[in-house]
Amino acid sequence: MKLMFRRLLLAIPATASIALLSGCAIQPPQPWEKANLARKEMTMDADPLDQAFTQHIYFSKESASGGYGVGGGGCGCN
Amino acid sequence: MAATSRPTPFKPKQASSEPRKRVGAITLAALALPGVMLGAANADSAPEDAVISAKLQGYKDSQPNLDRIKVIAPSLHILAPIAGAWSVEASVVQDNISGATPRWHTSVAGASRMEDRRIASDVKLTRYFDRAAIGARFSYSDENDYRSNAIALDGRYSSADNNTTWVAGIGASRDAINPVNQIVENERKNVVEGMIGVVQALSKNDLAQFNLTHVRGRGYFNDPYKLVDQRPREKNQTIGLIRWNHFIEGNSTTVRSSYRFYSDSYGVQAHTVQVEWVVPLSERFTITPSTRYYTQRQARFYFNPVYDPDIGEPYPAGYSTNPPTYYSADARLSSYGAFTLGSKFEWRFDKLWSVDFKYELYQQRSSWRLGGGGSPGLLPFRAQFAQIGVSRRF
Amino acid sequence: MSNQVMETMRSFTIAVVALSLIGLPFTQVGAVEVGSPAPTYSLPTTAGKVDSAGLKGKLVYVDFWASWCVPCKQSFPWMNEMQAKYGNRGLHVLAINVDGKQADADKFLGQVPAKFQIAFDPAGVTPRQFAVKAMPTSYLVDGEGRVVYVHAGFRESDQKSIEAAIVAALDTMKKR
Repeated sequence: MKLMFRRLLLAIPATASIALLSGCAIQPPQPWEKANLARKEMTMDADPLDQAFTQHIYFSKESASGGYGVGGGGCGCN
Repeated sequence: MAATSRPTPFKPKQASSEPRKRVGAITLAALALPGVMLGAANADSAPEDAVISAKLQGYKDSQPNLDRIKVIAPSLHILAPIAGAWSVEASVVQDNISGATPRWHTSVAGASRMEDRRIASDVKLTRYFDRAAIGARFSYSDENDYRSNAIALDGRYSSADNNTTWVAGIGASRDAINPVNQIVENERKNVVEGMIGVVQALSKNDLAQFNLTHVRGRGYFNDPYKLVDQRPREKNQTIGLIRWNHFIEGNSTTVRSSYRFYSDSYGVQAHTVQVEWVVPLSERFTITPSTRYYTQRQARFYFNPVYDPDIGEPYPAGYSTNPPTYYSADARLSSYGAFTLGSKFEWRFDKLWSVDFKYELYQQRSSWRLGGGGSPGLLPFRAQFAQIGVSRRF
Repeated sequence: MSNQVMETMRSFTIAVVALSLIGLPFTQVGAVEVGSPAPTYSLPTTAGKVDSAGLKGKLVYVDFWASWCVPCKQSFPWMNEMQAKYGNRGLHVLAINVDGKQADADKFLGQVPAKFQIAFDPAGVTPRQFAVKAMPTSYLVDGEGRVVYVHAGFRESDQKSIEAAIVAALDTMKKR
């Protein structure tokens, strides 16, 4: 199963390259075409209090944590 | 290999009518969490307006026939631009925890009741340049038995067309642990972390991010409130995260998905998949249903509820004859899967005010582990969490 | 670190690098620089049409804007001021909107009034010809259709320098 995941990960740049060469699907936008990317829901991490709270719950209930950024500290909850 | 230290003798059951200040089982704070970047100051340029948000967050968990921990946590967040090229971001949260501590397979029955309060605060200063930004962040958390101080530096740099942004960050934290049962005194935990990543606009409707994080921790990782818990004094973690936001022009909805791979030196490996769908119902009202699946493989030293035939619970099998170096019965280190289902409602009153409400249901079960092989002998775990917030622009 | 983790890290690093290189083949080629002739155009406006030929002899401040562009909210009041101040000396502000939907542009104009000419290019032909690299971007085009100044972005601190460029260009045109 781990092999499957590793292959999945390598598949991403592979798929991206294929899409690139075929000239479709992946086409980074021109500066004047960024209307949709400017929407609040399209940003990563739009609601910091929401994300922090939820990630903290998962941190205290599960082993995995982090990966989104650096900073913050510890707590006596895990 | 002989154990490096003997555990403390078996402690008698706590009378459940006696409230006792016992912390560390579950404390919840919205902030001071490793790995969460305060998002609002992530933009390529200083924010236009100042924003103040307040949220009241609540959490309640339970196991079959037992209500357990309740948490009420008010929080406040401020983001403000300064002099055009700077921004400051600050937040503070207070956790108020009460309830019965978990009856996991420490099998020491009887949840004893506990109460605790924790305060955590965070300040971040960011300087913006033409296509780059640098930030410094300071975090502090204080509760009865645990204090944490952390700093972090992060930077971002965008390509000329602004479609590619490289991000990097480093962080360090120093924690002081003083459990109320005084099983240890003035223990320490020091953690350093580093992250690199890239955010790429794949099309006018697609944004993707790849992050790679590595964390190294040294110090005290045991749960001092578990009778039988001895973990390595070194914990290293590697995390890979992919996120993808996709806008659907046809109905103006956005699909946000992410996959995270986690692996640490305890032997824990976990996969997290999240999908949410942002649906604007009208110009002011948005609903976002979300779902999450988490699966975890246990730590090498986690042991199932099979106890030593001579000395009995809660000692692991073989303890009396050949004690293992590391051992833990903490269900959080076991093999299991978990699902979350939730929904968020956002109502934008006007250009200045907005209100949001989110509710989520969470359940953890050994049988839900991906591929099977979940740890036996553990009760399912359920939790509900909700938040209500209000936000004002200036 | 185990072999497995090393391999997964390698996969992620490859993915990170691959993702950053995706943008390369699409980087914009060519630029409209100071001194080069400005592209010609013919676009609908709020009241008819505008074309570059008809603006010969004027100093045209061509500004590319969109409803979703945050600094544009600040540039509009300033452009009102510039048009009022230097209009009689030959300055003509032309703000070309690049929104895909007219409704979005109209909503913006309802909130941020404009006392200068607005043109619409939803197909994005003119920004491509002008090699726009950021939103907003503005160009000063002199009486002979030559680009004399390019400015990307708009911050409060930029206002003085752009105004100075306008005055300098007007003076140069007057001398001819």
